[in-house]
Amino acid sequence: MQGFDYLRPETISELKKDLSNPGARVLAGGTDIVPKMRQGVFSASILVDASRVISLDFIEDQGKEVVIGALTTHQKLTDSALIKNVNPALTAAAESVGCIQTRCRGTLGGNIANASPAADTIPPLLIYDADLLLQSLEGERILPLESFLKGPGETALKPGEFIHSVSFSPLLGSWGSVFLKIGKRSGMAISVVNGTAAIVLDDEGMITNARIALGAVAPTVIRCRETEKSLIGKEPSPELFNNASEICREEITPITDIRSTEEYRIHSAAVIARRALEQAVDQARERKN
Amino acid sequence: MTEILKTIGKAEIRKDAWQKAAGKALYTADIPANNLKHGVVFRSPHHYARILEVDTADALKMPGVLQILTAEDIPGDKIFGPLVPDQPSLAQEVVRHLGEPVVLIIAESRKEALAAREKIQVTFEPLTPVFDPVLAAKPDTPQLHEDGNVITELNVQDGDIERGFEEADIVLEEVYHLPRISPGYMEPETSLAVWEQDNSITVWVSSQHPFTDQGFIAAALDLPVSSVRVKSSVIGGAFGGKEDSSLSILAALGAQAVKGAVKLVNNRRESFLAHPKRHPAQIKYKLGAKKDGSFTSLKVEAYLDTGAYSSYGPAVGMIFTETLTGSYKIPNVQVDTYVVYTNSPISGAMRGFGSPQSHFAVESMVDLMAEELEMDPIRLREKNILHPGDKIFTGVIINETANSLPICLKNVREIIQRFQAIKPSPGKKAGVGFALASQSMGLGANVPDDSTHRLEWAPDGRILIHLGSPDLGQGLATAAEQITAESLGIPFDQVVTLELDTLDSPNGNVTCASRMTYMAGNALIDASEKLIQQLLIHSSRILDVPVKNLLYKNGQVIKPDGSKVPAVEFVSRLAEESIVLCSESTFSFPYPEDTTPQHLPIGMPHVLFCFGAQVARVEIDPELGTVDVTHFAAIHDVGKVISQAGVEGQIEGGVATGLGYALYETMLQKGDRWVDSFTEYLLPTAKDLPHHYENIILEVPEASGPYGAKGIGEITLVPTAPAIANAVYDAVGVRVTKLPITPERILGFAD
Amino acid sequence: MKPIEVIFTLNGKDTRVSSDPNRTLLEVLRNDLGLTGTKDACGGEGECGACTVILNGKPVNSCLLFIGQVMGQNITTIEGLSEKGDYHPIQKAFVEAGAVQCGYCTPGAVLASKALLDNNPRPSDQEISDGLSGNLCRCTGYKKMMDAIHLAAERHSND
Repeated sequence: MQGFDYLRPETISELKKDLSNPGARVLAGGTDIVPKMRQGVFSASILVDASRVISLDFIEDQGKEVVIGALTTHQKLTDSALIKNVNPALTAAAESVGCIQTRCRGTLGGNIANASPAADTIPPLLIYDADLLLQSLEGERILPLESFLKGPGETALKPGEFIHSVSFSPLLGSWGSVFLKIGKRSGMAISVVNGTAAIVLDDEGMITNARIALGAVAPTVIRCRETEKSLIGKEPSPELFNNASEICREEITPITDIRSTEEYRIHSAAVIARRALEQAVDQARERKN
Repeated sequence: MTEILKTIGKAEIRKDAWQKAAGKALYTADIPANNLKHGVVFRSPHHYARILEVDTADALKMPGVLQILTAEDIPGDKIFGPLVPDQPSLAQEVVRHLGEPVVLIIAESRKEALAAREKIQVTFEPLTPVFDPVLAAKPDTPQLHEDGNVITELNVQDGDIERGFEEADIVLEEVYHLPRISPGYMEPETSLAVWEQDNSITVWVSSQHPFTDQGFIAAALDLPVSSVRVKSSVIGGAFGGKEDSSLSILAALGAQAVKGAVKLVNNRRESFLAHPKRHPAQIKYKLGAKKDGSFTSLKVEAYLDTGAYSSYGPAVGMIFTETLTGSYKIPNVQVDTYVVYTNSPISGAMRGFGSPQSHFAVESMVDLMAEELEMDPIRLREKNILHPGDKIFTGVIINETANSLPICLKNVREIIQRFQAIKPSPGKKAGVGFALASQSMGLGANVPDDSTHRLEWAPDGRILIHLGSPDLGQGLATAAEQITAESLGIPFDQVVTLELDTLDSPNGNVTCASRMTYMAGNALIDASEKLIQQLLIHSSRILDVPVKNLLYKNGQVIKPDGSKVPAVEFVSRLAEESIVLCSESTFSFPYPEDTTPQHLPIGMPHVLFCFGAQVARVEIDPELGTVDVTHFAAIHDVGKVISQAGVEGQIEGGVATGLGYALYETMLQKGDRWVDSFTEYLLPTAKDLPHHYENIILEVPEASGPYGAKGIGEITLVPTAPAIANAVYDAVGVRVTKLPITPERILGFAD
Repeated sequence: MKPIEVIFTLNGKDTRVSSDPNRTLLEVLRNDLGLTGTKDACGGEGECGACTVILNGKPVNSCLLFIGQVMGQNITTIEGLSEKGDYHPIQKAFVEAGAVQCGYCTPGAVLASKALLDNNPRPSDQEISDGLSGNLCRCTGYKKMMDAIHLAAERHSND
């Protein structure tokens, strides 16, 4: 493993300073970075261990928005009643990541910064139009999560920048949010395809809002906008969702890799999308009653 | 009158479990050594290439480097191999697989050795590799070894195959593909070698055959065997993949070169590339049957990919061939098996040794035939299963333990009914399937198979077993202790097994082939009787009573007047006289001359078999093709349970491994690399095993076995994959003929 | 690369190590502190759980912790489970349930089980298999490990 200098800031301002060094990269839980450094696919001349900056470890209901600190672990997300209340898809996603050992260390910020197209926690945030607060010694900026993701393992993070927190507005009215995942085995499963859907119904039971995000079927996790458009203003029905799943097939560009084939991913993404939508509608109807 | 057994059959607690649970058991990597140096191996980055030049000059200058060895520096034999000596310890002139060792670097620390490895410069001329054994078998494909790519060709026939197919009302043919999989033991290969003051060497190994290692190390180092001492550390699993001396030879060469202590540890990626895997197989399987279900004929053409070097390939080809008729009597058979070199990592002795591959074909085809004949698959099997006295196509006559086959099927019938009655979960399709299995025991006819073990009665009353074969973690030592304790009539707690050390352990031969409980057990029963005899002879002298007037029972010598003297009193008295009460016995695997056919190559046939069956219930998501094994039952005949927990553990572990073979595991080759990590090579986790699991253990005594016991180590993973495949067919009507059974294959989105 | 000093509580004792920062807790435990109970089965990629230790009450893979990250933290390894030479009830349960074969995965599995039971004293089958799903085993098929956890849970509730 390459050598690096190790810094351990305790506060956000120390973190900003440490990260402003050339060649400095953030280390949070280490569950992605440590193996990648061992394999030589991630390098840093200075590793800034942010894991002590406790002010980045929080889940807060700030009224209009829910804000999650970047250092929140997957296990904390899984156990959070607030998250389960406002975004059960995110709870399901966090619970499905790796195993207990990695969930106790891996963080939301780390998962987002790692930007795997198969990441599980990204789709439930994407369907809520989540924003990232990015900070550095230079200042800060807010970037929609969607713009942050550039490609497999590539993000808009600038040198010296770190993810402070993720925020999103809860859905209002009769809503449902669902996360579904296909892995190659039940334990420690990396997504072959994952699908997340959110639906909002009006008082007549018509769809006023529909969001779908699919993972492992494109260079980044993606929103299927055409699919979403096809649902707005419509009444939920099997035909509607079958149609939606057909449209969704056109919006994705999966590849064949060690885990699966392009054809299977197209097929199963369409199935997952349809099911996530159906289940989100069921959840929305329950919430109505 | 059957005596009540005191310890045989009980769930005795393994003595080694305490240290293991405490984290105190010393595996080879844990063993401390003074002044320890570290070795790392520079491995070939090419699948197949000529070595033009090896430049170690820059590496030698690196800090901490002590020695850098290439093939030229090996003083003795540069090549070894358990069956065919074709495997270089360090490559010369050519590398034949990715990861093949080329240069050995020894340094003060592992970190320094790794840094020096970066500076090794080898100039290769890449050649075009071949990965397909069918292609490699063709004469116009580049030959990887001097004697050609087909290392073994087995042509075995019985009866008249043409007539057999003419007599058949239905003839079905299918091609089955089995992948390369890894034994997946948790402890990667490690070896620690210490050069001693007297110019001998001590080597700690995690190995199934320490005495074989001793021989290969001596040959490579150009030392007499008596100068090489091999000690068996606690082993973290082997499953056939640790019948390979490559790393221990390298550690020894390193220790000899620096005249010190050298440790070599493979990391998991190296382990995937360097140590033997299961043979991939392509099996063309053609079965003929009459309308009434009786099988008339079987023709098989099969290719086994043995990888770059032979390892146990020829022998795997043999057991594969012999088990192609499974548990059935088929009168007309023709088998052509080709074991072929390719530029893949080495295939070798992995648990099952050819039988998991053959049985996937047999048991898938029998179900297919049942459907074609419109016959219940259990009925079809009942019609054809072997009975005691039947002759199989190798000429071997099956003994009375085949009586367990109908019992297996009876259990299968009952379990299937129960599993079929379970309602599928919402949205899922459920299916139940099963498979029957036979697994050979032993190394095969005309292969010397002698197993020697020794007992020593310690002055404190304990019995010390000098076990000549290593416990791989499966609990061999516990079984040996129970058999010994039972034979001597003393408490299980009083019997302990010593660590294997070639310096003073007898040679029990390699732990493999589902036979070591049988071999060691028989040897220990005999050794116990001899020990008792010795005790009585000495007691007679001490008591001044004729031997014939003394009896022994349950740890006590019984005098003519009926009074009892604890044996320990005599043993400690003898110790004062510097007499050690000790007995040794060698058991040779029986191949009775009159019933063992002699017309087949050495290593064939096998004459003793284990039998079993497994039943799987699966639920499949019909849209996604994902498979969930919800219920599972394993029925295995062990002859006699020696260690209850040990037998159950072997079955449960074997089923898990079989499930991995069926659903998740495949070591794929992708361009310039192989799957070489647990991220991509998926072993079953605790969440992947069925929650509902039943063990049904049968005891149809094997007359030649210790207390009637047979083997259990390998058969437990043999019927698993075909049982699951048959269940998948029952659920969704898709027959998957290639493992692993993935959703992509079920839905037709992949080959 | 500057070596760093790390002070932490290891099995109840204050411990100080000096190390290059690019080494993991697993390497330091095994090579510097002579605690070889924690194992490496997957090559330090966080895929097998054989290196599981308990960090501030939570089960984690020590191969994924750079040594600097344990500064001031509380670590329990398998060696720390036995108090005053007696076996921890979970160790006893593993042994008595027959859940130990080759034993290489056992330390990690015992610690994962301890973390599970400390958090959830009467887990269901589902919760047990979830809690063990990060610990690979090739010998046992997990069944007797699950039995061991049930056994330890029952005994604890009977105490």
